[in-house]
Amino acid sequence: MRLLRVENDKYVFRLGKGERELLAIALSLYPAIPAAHQVISKSQAIANKTNQHLLDEALAEQRRENKKRVAAFLADAKRFHETETSTRVTLTGAEIEWLLQVLNDVHVGSWILLGSPDESSSELIPTDKNVQFIDAMELARWFQSDLLRAFSEKP
Amino acid sequence: MPEVMPDLEREEKTDSKSEQEPGYLVICWNDPVNLMDYVTHVFQSVFAWQKQKAEFHMLQVHNQGKSVLIRESLEKAEHYVHQLQKYSLHATMERDE
Repeated sequence: MRLLRVENDKYVFRLGKGERELLAIALSLYPAIPAAHQVISKSQAIANKTNQHLLDEALAEQRRENKKRVAAFLADAKRFHETETSTRVTLTGAEIEWLLQVLNDVHVGSWILLGSPDESSSELIPTDKNVQFIDAMELARWFQSDLLRAFSEKP
Repeated sequence: MPEVMPDLEREEKTDSKSEQEPGYLVICWNDPVNLMDYVTHVFQSVFAWQKQKAEFHMLQVHNQGKSVLIRESLEKAEHYVHQLQKYSLHATMERDE
């Protein structure tokens, strides 16, 4: 996924052969972080005071909205312009910000499903049981890096 | 009963006041999974920090295991933790003691 140009908050990317499908696979794995995984505080007193359930509800609502938005994003044929050798996709800054959140959920969630290992995904030994999560982490990380680079390359 | 009520009221007022004081720390904890560039980017987005400040805190998380990002009232600290967790960062709020 390579940034071609930025004009008026429109980021035009070139996706290589097969990359559109890989992006779709990565996004379809959302949400990956288990519900109620995140805590508001390590202190029980604060957790009680601030209502942990408010955080759980906010994150659950975000998951529902993002899931719908992912489906709409992938189904939006006009967004993707196919050529013989590649695909072009145009994203706004806000859409990149959203994609980064979704992809990081897949990245971190897959790591949690792997048992939160200390090693990076490239150092883990794939087995039949963990290979799907290692691949998901790598895939999400790959697209995250490209999107972050686009922000840093922005003129 | 009349002797007890004023004490209760005072206690409630004190508690409410303490919630409005910037006595809560928003802390980001290290994990081996989030990308360093991503963490920097999130700090910039959530706190509207310059890149240099965001990188300083990202490196503090990476090297020291955690970084205190901001000291705020209960409500604002809660808001920032929600924002950071929407980006899937490991962030919590703790009492500044």
